[in-house]
This record gives sequence, structure tokens and C-alpha cells, in this order.
Amino acid sequence: MRISSSTMTSFNVAALNQLQYQIQQTQQQAASGTRLLTAASDPVAYTRAMDLSQTVAISTQQSANITAATDPLSIAGNTLQSVTSLLQDIRTTAVAAGGGSVSDASRATMAKALSGQLQQLIGLANGTDGSGNYLFAGFQSKTPPFSTSASGVVVYNGDTGQQLVQASAGRQVPVNDNGLDVFMRIKSGNGTFSANAAVANTGTGVISAGTVTNPALLTGNSYSISLAVAGASTTYTVTNTTTGLPVVGMSAQPYVSGQSISFDGMQMNITGAPANGDTFTVAPSTNQSVFTTISNLISTLNTPVSGANLANGLASGILNLDNSLNNILNTQSSQGLRLNELTLLQTSNDSMAVQLKQSLSALQDTNYTTTITALNQQQTVLQAAQKSYAQVGNLSMFTYI
Amino acid sequence: MAGNNIFSASLSGLNAAQYEINVTQHNIANANTPGYTRQQVTLGSQAAAAASGAGFLGQGVNVVGIKRLYDQFLTGQVLQQQGLASYQNTYLSSISQINSLVSNTTSGVPNTLTNFFAATNSFANTPASIPARQTVLSAAQSVVDSFQSASQTLFSIATGVSGQISNSVQQINTYATQIASLNASITSAIASNNGQQPNDLMDQRDQLVNQLNQQIGVSTQQQPDGSVSVFVGSGQALVVGGRAMSLQVVQNPNDPGKVDVAYLNNGKLTTIQQSSLQGGTLGAYIAFRDQNLQPAQNALGLVALGFASKINQQNQMGQDLNGALGGNIINAAPPFVTSGANNTGTGGVTATISNVSAVTTSDYQLKFDGTNYTLTRLSDNTVTSLGTAAPLTQVVDGVSITAAAGMAAGDSFTIRPTANAASAIAMLTSDPAKLAAAAPMLASAAVANKGTGTISPGSVNTPLPLNANLQAPVSITFSNPPTSYTVAGAVPAVAGTVAYTPGQNITYNGWTMQISGAPAAGDVFNVASNLGGTGDNRNALLMAGLQTQNLMSNGTTSLQGVYSQLVGAVGSKTSELTVTSTAQNALVTQAVATQQSVSGVNLDEEAANLLQYQRAYQASAKAMQIANTMFDALMTLR
Repeated sequence: MRISSSTMTSFNVAALNQLQYQIQQTQQQAASGTRLLTAASDPVAYTRAMDLSQTVAISTQQSANITAATDPLSIAGNTLQSVTSLLQDIRTTAVAAGGGSVSDASRATMAKALSGQLQQLIGLANGTDGSGNYLFAGFQSKTPPFSTSASGVVVYNGDTGQQLVQASAGRQVPVNDNGLDVFMRIKSGNGTFSANAAVANTGTGVISAGTVTNPALLTGNSYSISLAVAGASTTYTVTNTTTGLPVVGMSAQPYVSGQSISFDGMQMNITGAPANGDTFTVAPSTNQSVFTTISNLISTLNTPVSGANLANGLASGILNLDNSLNNILNTQSSQGLRLNELTLLQTSNDSMAVQLKQSLSALQDTNYTTTITALNQQQTVLQAAQKSYAQVGNLSMFTYI
Repeated sequence: MAGNNIFSASLSGLNAAQYEINVTQHNIANANTPGYTRQQVTLGSQAAAAASGAGFLGQGVNVVGIKRLYDQFLTGQVLQQQGLASYQNTYLSSISQINSLVSNTTSGVPNTLTNFFAATNSFANTPASIPARQTVLSAAQSVVDSFQSASQTLFSIATGVSGQISNSVQQINTYATQIASLNASITSAIASNNGQQPNDLMDQRDQLVNQLNQQIGVSTQQQPDGSVSVFVGSGQALVVGGRAMSLQVVQNPNDPGKVDVAYLNNGKLTTIQQSSLQGGTLGAYIAFRDQNLQPAQNALGLVALGFASKINQQNQMGQDLNGALGGNIINAAPPFVTSGANNTGTGGVTATISNVSAVTTSDYQLKFDGTNYTLTRLSDNTVTSLGTAAPLTQVVDGVSITAAAGMAAGDSFTIRPTANAASAIAMLTSDPAKLAAAAPMLASAAVANKGTGTISPGSVNTPLPLNANLQAPVSITFSNPPTSYTVAGAVPAVAGTVAYTPGQNITYNGWTMQISGAPAAGDVFNVASNLGGTGDNRNALLMAGLQTQNLMSNGTTSLQGVYSQLVGAVGSKTSELTVTSTAQNALVTQAVATQQSVSGVNLDEEAANLLQYQRAYQASAKAMQIANTMFDALMTLR
């Protein structure tokens, strides 16, 4: 075939151009560390890498979210730990106050100590997370959740909001617990009903907390148990105060100290010697705040002993205190479970992130072995092309004539 | 007689050798001239005028003509392949600009979007924190900046393309004029030289046609008088004989920001179907603009519009740090409507986005034919009938289009729903308190409740607008027995009791919540305004969740998904063109080599020829010297 002189040059120039372009691309892959220089390098892999990068970013963000949730949960946990030991101290004081040798004066001192501890409790319940957000205020994070009203009652100013944190794609973990649920919404008595002695009682009858024997028979009504003492015989009558009717079969029953009194699915007993006209009330449990429980204890301790008022007051106070303690322990264990879950989510998130990054790296990172090999090859070819062209280009017959 | 013959034969040999040396020299001189075809002297032997007694004695050599070594087919191949290569190379270099734009991995849209949602998550974790809110706003500003910068780049590419189209049209007109004047010269040269072809003029014309074909695909027709007619587009004559017509750049009648190419003949301007202008640089620019650049602008706009609208909608569903209902925080541009340049009526068209999830990247054309109003989706030419009576309002693909009365038959309007969204996106607030982290209402159970019923915090119903009574207090009180409840405060008022099913959605006044468990008779559940709920992050969580939700394209893809589609489309077109243009360039090299193997100049060959012709000249001169010696010998015989 004939070759025209200009073709020889343009052929070589085109070949050199192409080789230099290849080398430039390979070099760029080596220098940038990514084989996907632009979307055109591999459009499918490039868009996949974009999606994976977003997933990696989301996983990093969720990891940050988990950390953000862990801090307030731990702080709230520590606060509730202090609350628990405080309530246990109060319980010890209350139990000690029931000892027979304790005088009215020393009970008044105990009441003073309890008042201080009540203030301490309010302080703990108004705790913050370190950046000025109240831990137990629900969504009202800038308002102190508990304050004492003019009449001395502790009221809740927060709401029932619960902040969630996106800990994984499908899971939002609750972070805070509102003060209403932790400190206020605590069932009195045994959780179903609350049995109390009337303040005016003069006898030594002390009523027990009682139990539910048959939930199906519960009416949700209030009752009174009134005692009548005639000579040596003591009888009691149970009246449903909601309906105003006496409970069938419970009229003028003989009273024996410690013997169980059962009606409408409930059972309790009265011990001691009640006086004529003494009454006891049985009412459905209501929500009573831990602050009210402690205030009641304080007033019980401040009241001089007469009849069984101290025993009854301390019994119901300690029962309600135990209810509060249980409620706080429940909250603590729920927080512990959440912290556990967050740790698990963090672990799985971390291993997921490692996997995602591996896939991303496989997709877009330069494989240096193949890249450097390719670079060497291309370099050899380019050098060969340059050298051969320099030699061939010199050939001309005109040099010989 | 014989001696005289030797002289004249030698003279013809000297003459022929001179011609050959001249042509060889011409070839050598033009070895690098583009489009040059090597030439050769055609020789013929001069026959005897009459037979001598011994037979016919030839009378030397005769120069018949000078021909070009030209192959019509191979030259046509080069023309075709170079036209294709020019188209593909231009297309590739144009689309590479968008390719590098969408491949920006540091400050591109996907990165700023990811950063924005990361900031939104942190904001959800600490909803009352001003620094966290400030970070969301700066991240949003970065998103806005990335949209604007990408849109600015696309805009300058578009301006560049318009400029290139004018340049190309100018270039085409110049070539057409040059071809026409060469046509005239060639025709007259052939006519006045007994049909001998003016080789160099014809080379020049072939080269010009080739260059013209690299600007725009042309078809040519050889005429008997030696001229060439050139046609473009769908058969518009650009050159006929010695006359050149021209192309002209005009404004697109439907889109003032766009130029069209029109055909100018005898001072009369005719429009050409733009898609018929195929091949070459001009064809590449037009195809790139209509098939890649505008769709890219629209797709970028769709992401911007989706981002701005969805963030605004979510913010409006919440309550900001000041306790007010959230507002718009990012500007979402309305659709861009242009009325046709040839419209004669008075009726106008307005368009608004009614549902961003249904918006497409397509442009639309609204036409009135005197009776019917129709809307054509330009991406696939789907026609929607809008009715016959104006004023009318109809929602098509999430765009609410209103046509006013007063249009004249033939009026048309172009509606580009997302064209301006990326350039017009902007922050509407710099106040971090305006971010709505909280939900405007909160459901709660009363403290005195005896039962175990629990209530969810509640959520705001979608879509917007918000219910006017959203924050009005509503209380739900359980009846005795607690199998039903009464509702107070709902608008409209709820009469009687409602049966209770645990966990079922309860919806009033634009919110939804659930009560579960076993409430006791008389238990009360309240829904009220969430004023002061600075720790509430319900709305912020929803906002952060927008990142992965399939918000766009009728719920089939996320915001980043729309952008991915753009990147995929641009990337694969670029990759395709990289491959085909490399292959095409190889084909051009092949075609040129084949054509040059016939028509190209080889200097070594010319050097050999030069030696050969020199010898021929020397030999003829020697023959003449011998004849002279013979003559002298005769003279000395006296």
C-alpha cells in the first residue's frame, strides 16, 4: 500500500495523543485514589457510590444521634439514683419514727430533717442536662418542672412530651422521661385501693394495706368500715359509700383483731382495739405524688401521738413511699434497657458502617496493583512510540540525492 | 527528414520531462496542503503522421493533460467520517462540561444535601440549642449555594452554546460563499479550457465542502457543468452553482432564552425544523442543548424545587422556637411561563406548583386552536385536553395551570415548571428561631386518671394547609362503662359518644393520636397547644427523615435519587460519547489513510520520480546532441 508522507505524521501524532491521554487518566486515578474520576468513568458505579456515600453519612449521623441520646439518659439515670437513695433515707427515718420509745419532740426533729430532704428531692427533680435543659420537664425543657404553690403543694409545670432520637433507620429511641410519670403519677395504697383510718379515730385499730382476691368482683366504689363496741363485743359494718347501701352480708359482723375482712373482691384486716364509732375508709387508688407522700409523712410526724394515728399514718406513708420507690426503679430500669439498646444499635451501626465503607471502597477506590501495572505498560508503549517515530521520521530519500 | 524527426522527438521528450518535473515539484510543494490531491502528467506517444516505407515511425511524446489521482468514493468516505467525528467530538466536549459539574464530589449538591440532613439530625437531638439551629441554617445556605453555582454553570454553558451556534452559522455562511465562488471559477475554467479540469480549484472546493460538512451535515450533487450543489437540513439548498444562500440565527418564538437557526433565501427568512439540522458541530450543539443541557437544568431545578418545597412544608407543620407556627424558610420558584412571540390574543397563562411530588423534569406547551385548549408534555408529546371554556384551571403533573380568556387561535405558551428553581432558590430567613422543631399540639393524659390508658403525643395531619383549630383544646372523657368516650372542643362538634378501640387513630382538628390500654370511667385525655415545648423534636425528626423518603416522582424516588438520575444520564451519555468518538476518530484515521494512499503525496516517491524525470530530460538532450553530431558528420562529408 502507498503511504502518503503526511499520513505517517498524522498517524503518529494521533497515536501519541491517545497514549498520552491514557497515561494522564491512569496517573489521575493513581494520584486521586479513586478510579471513578467523573460520572462518565463508570456511570452505574458512580451513582451507586453516590447512594452508598449517603448511606455512610446517615450511619455516621445515627452514631452521633446515639451519642446524643446516651448523655441525657446517663445524667437522668444518675439523678434517679440519688433520688432512690434519698427516698430510702426517708423510709429509714419513717420506720424509726414508729419505734415506741421515740418522743414527740424527736419526731418533730425527724420531720424537720424530712422537710430538708423534700427540698433536696425537688432540687433533684428540677435537674438539668448540663446545657440548661430540664431533665424531667417533658417538652417544656426551659421551664423548671416542679415548683411549690402558695399552699405548699408541689405542682408540675412541664408536660408529658417525650423526645425521641433516630438511632437507626427504623428505630426512634425515647430519651427523656417526664416528671409527671416519674414523680407524680404514682398509685396510692396497694395500687388498686387504699385503706385508711379516719383522723378522728380514738381506738388503737390499725388497718392493713389489703389485697385484691377477685378482680372480677371489684366495683371501683368507696366503702367505709364502721365499728361498734358494746361491752365486750365489737362488731363492724361495711357500707358502700358511693351507692349509700350497706354491703350485703357485712352488717354487724363480729370483730376479731387480725381477722380478714373480705367484700367485693377485696380483703384486708384491722388489728388492735378500735373504739366505738371508729371508721376506716376503703377507696380506689388515686395518683399521689412522691412530694405529697413525704408532706403527709411530715405532718404525721408533727402530730402528737393519740390512739393509732401515728401507726396508721406511718403505715400508709411507708406504703406510698415504697410505691414511689418502685416507680422510680421502674423508670431506671427502663432507662437502662434503652441505654442497652443504644449500645447494641451503636455496635450494629458500627459494623454496618465498616461494611458500607468496604463496599464503597471496592466500588470507587483505585486498585493500585492494576493501576501501577497499567501505568508501566502505557509508559513503555509511549516510549516505544516516541523513539520509533523519531527514527522513522528521519528517513527521507532527499538526504541521499 | 529523419534528422528533423529526431530533433522534434527529442524536443517533445525535453518538454514532457519539464512538465513532469514541474508537476513533481508542485506535488512536493503541496505535500502538506490539506485537501491536496497529488497530480500526475498524462503522456501519450505522438503517432506518425504517415507511414514511411519501413512503417510507422513515432514522432515523440505528447503531454495529454495533468490529472489528479482522485477517488470519488474514498473522498466521500473521508467526508462522511470526518462529519461524524466532528459531531461526536463537539458533543463530547460539550457534555463533558456537565459531566465534570455533576462529578463535583466536594461542593456538589449531594454533599451539601447530606451535610444539611446531618445538621438537621443534630438539631433534632438538641431542638432548643441555638448553635444547632444556626448550623442547620448555614447547611441550608450551602445547599442553596451549591444549587445556584450549578445552575450558574449550566447557564454559562447554555450561553456558550448559543454563541457557538452563531459562530458555527457564520462559519457555514463563509464556506457557502467560498464554495459558490469556486463553483463559478471552476465552471468558467472548464468551459474555456476544452474540458480540462482546474485540479487545484477542485481540491480547494472539496476541502471546503469537507469543512462545511464538519460544521453541519450536508448532501452534495455534482452538476454537468462542473459545479457542485450543496443542501442542508431537510433539503434546503445552500449553494447552487455560483449562488450561495445562508443560515441565520433567530430567537426561539417560545423561549426567549434560546436561539434557533433559520434559512435565508432572497431576503426571505424561513424557519427550519431544528431537529433536521443534523451532524457536524452545529448539529452537535443543537442536540446537546435540547437533549442534555435543558433536561439537566430542569432536573437540577426539580431537586432544588423538591428540597425547598418539602423543607418549607415540613417547617409549616411545626412550631418554631418562639411558639409561632413555622413558615417558609427557602424560596421555591414558581414555574416559568413564556408566551409565544407570535401570539395575538390577550389571554395569559399562569402556573403554580400544587404538588411537588408529581412534578416532572419536562417542559409543557399550552396551545389554543380556536376551540380547544391543549397541553403537550414536551418530553414524550403526551397531549392533555384542558377544555374549551376559558378561564380554566387544571392540574397536570402537579402543576396547576390557569388560562385566562382572550386567547386567539394559534396562541401558544411554554411552561417550564422547574427551569428557574435552581437559580432562584434562596434563603428566606436567617433567624435560627424560625426553624420549627416542635409539633404545634400535644396530647396528654390527665394526672387524676385511674385507668391504665396511655396516649401518644400525636402528629399533625398531612397535607397542608394546617387545620385552623389545630391548637384548640380538645378533651376526651371516657364514659361509664369505659367502652366509649365523649369529645369536647372538636370542630365540627362531635355529638354523643364514640366507641373506644385501643390503639385506633383518633383524628380531630387536623391532628391524629392514639389511646391504648384500659382507661377507667371518667378518665380524661387532653390535646392542647404545645406552647413552650422547646424540647419537642417531633417536627425536627420528621424534617431529618425527609432525607431518605421517596418524596419525588410520585413517591418513587428521594431527592438524591432525582439527582442520581441526572448524574446517571449525563455520565452514561458522556461515557458513550467517549467510546464512540474514540472509535470514530480511529475510523477517520483509517478513511484518511486509505484516501491518502491514492491521493496523498509520498516524498520518497516524488524524489524517485524527480530522478527519473531528470534522467529522461538528460536522455532527450543527449538524443538531440547525437542528432546534432549526425548532422555535423553529414556536413563534414564535402
